Amino acid sequence: MRGIDRRAFLRMLAGAAPAGLGLLLGPRALRAAGPAEMIERNEWPEHWETTLDALGRSWLTRNDRFFVRSHLPVPDVDPASYRLEITGLVGAPLSLTLDELKELPRIEMPCTFECAGNGRGLLSPPNTAGTQWARGAVGNARWGGAPLATLLRRAGVLPEGRHVWFEAADRAPHPDVPAFLRSIPIEKAMQDALLAYDMNGEALPKLHGAPLRAIVPGWYGMASTKWVTRVRVENQPSDNHFMARGYRYNRPGEDPTLAAPIEEMRIKSVVTWPRDGAKLPLAKFRAQGFAWAGSPGVKRVDVSSDGGTSWRPAGFMGETVPHAWRSWTTEIDVKSPRRLTLMARATDGNGRQQPVEASVNAGGYANNSIHRITIHVRG
Amino acid sequence: MSAVSRRVAMIALAAAVVLGLIGATGDGQRATRVRPYPNRLPDGDGRAIAERSCLMCHSATLVTQQAKDSTAWARTVAQMVKWGTPLPAAEQDTLLRYLASHLGPRAARVKR
Repeated sequence: MRGIDRRAFLRMLAGAAPAGLGLLLGPRALRAAGPAEMIERNEWPEHWETTLDALGRSWLTRNDRFFVRSHLPVPDVDPASYRLEITGLVGAPLSLTLDELKELPRIEMPCTFECAGNGRGLLSPPNTAGTQWARGAVGNARWGGAPLATLLRRAGVLPEGRHVWFEAADRAPHPDVPAFLRSIPIEKAMQDALLAYDMNGEALPKLHGAPLRAIVPGWYGMASTKWVTRVRVENQPSDNHFMARGYRYNRPGEDPTLAAPIEEMRIKSVVTWPRDGAKLPLAKFRAQGFAWAGSPGVKRVDVSSDGGTSWRPAGFMGETVPHAWRSWTTEIDVKSPRRLTLMARATDGNGRQQPVEASVNAGGYANNSIHRITIHVRG
Repeated sequence: MSAVSRRVAMIALAAAVVLGLIGATGDGQRATRVRPYPNRLPDGDGRAIAERSCLMCHSATLVTQQAKDSTAWARTVAQMVKWGTPLPAAEQDTLLRYLASHLGPRAARVKR
């Protein structure tokens, strides 16, 4: 090897080898190279958004493309010594190892959830605190674990037990910052909440709450607490900051403690193809995306290619599963070169439609405004 | 191994290293990422105070992506003081002026 010191070159290779080995290990690593697929809204705690390109690729969002939102730094939880406590207003408190949890009847549940702040960065003017998400803080995964109801029945919830609090292992660097704690009503806990240790058939990744996280179907993501260590049954909702003051529908200047809490996801859809600003040849093309909602589910998606003057229904593809998003698609036939405005408007099972502009609240939550993109069709 | 085959092996290994570096991002997250906001607070009077009082709990990008007026920044700073950020009362006005002047309202929408 001339012109370069061979030993120095080998030392450089050795230093970088662990990363390079990733390429040699198989197709997963091969797929990793390429254009950026996550948007790092915050380095730490991790606030990572999925690009619409990556989101639109499959009905299930890959684990390493699923958005990440952590309020506090990711904790180190040793799965070998981990125990889940079931305490509070129960007849027989439980303490279970991870292996004991995995011996309980297991269910798998595809479930979509969206960060309550998704779309905050699209509000105008952008004057709200918090992460300025665009449209990709949402994902759909197949979660595996034990139904929360199984554990609560085994512990024997007392009649006065009305709310289930999820305590978790994450802590802020400063002791005065409150721990992140959420609670849900006992009816929701017994209905369909899950304690998940699997994500898309793999062990739950650390960034997504390993070894155990809650999954609260149909609710915005903050309810699905990560790194759960204790389930406490109480007679009232948690008074933690992130319950009493955070995640509320208060208007600017209003007292958040008096406002309605943010719970179920509002009906929403996203166009994953074409991309905003795309230049397409003069020919028929397919638009596609996903739509999701809380318990009413998605009833229909209508698409407009003339800026909202006329609408026609899109078709659904693939699986229809409660609490998982629905893939929609429609063909657009453009007769002449022009710039067109494409919009997708979803309607839920109760007849509620996405608004053109969602009403503003102080936290910039639950922005389910209709997704509108511009496409240039060339001759 | 001949000189030619050794050279081919070197080139293949170098290519693997380069491509692997693109793909690997740590903690099992292989996706390549973009960072739409600077991870460094803007220069100006008050930057040292902001670094001391903000960056112990989160990185600078959570600050630099904001576009808030002085009232909204005052609410944020009051919350952080309540949560124990090491910000002496005498430095609060400097910090608020710094945040509102460098990270105030802007017309541009969110960076993709």
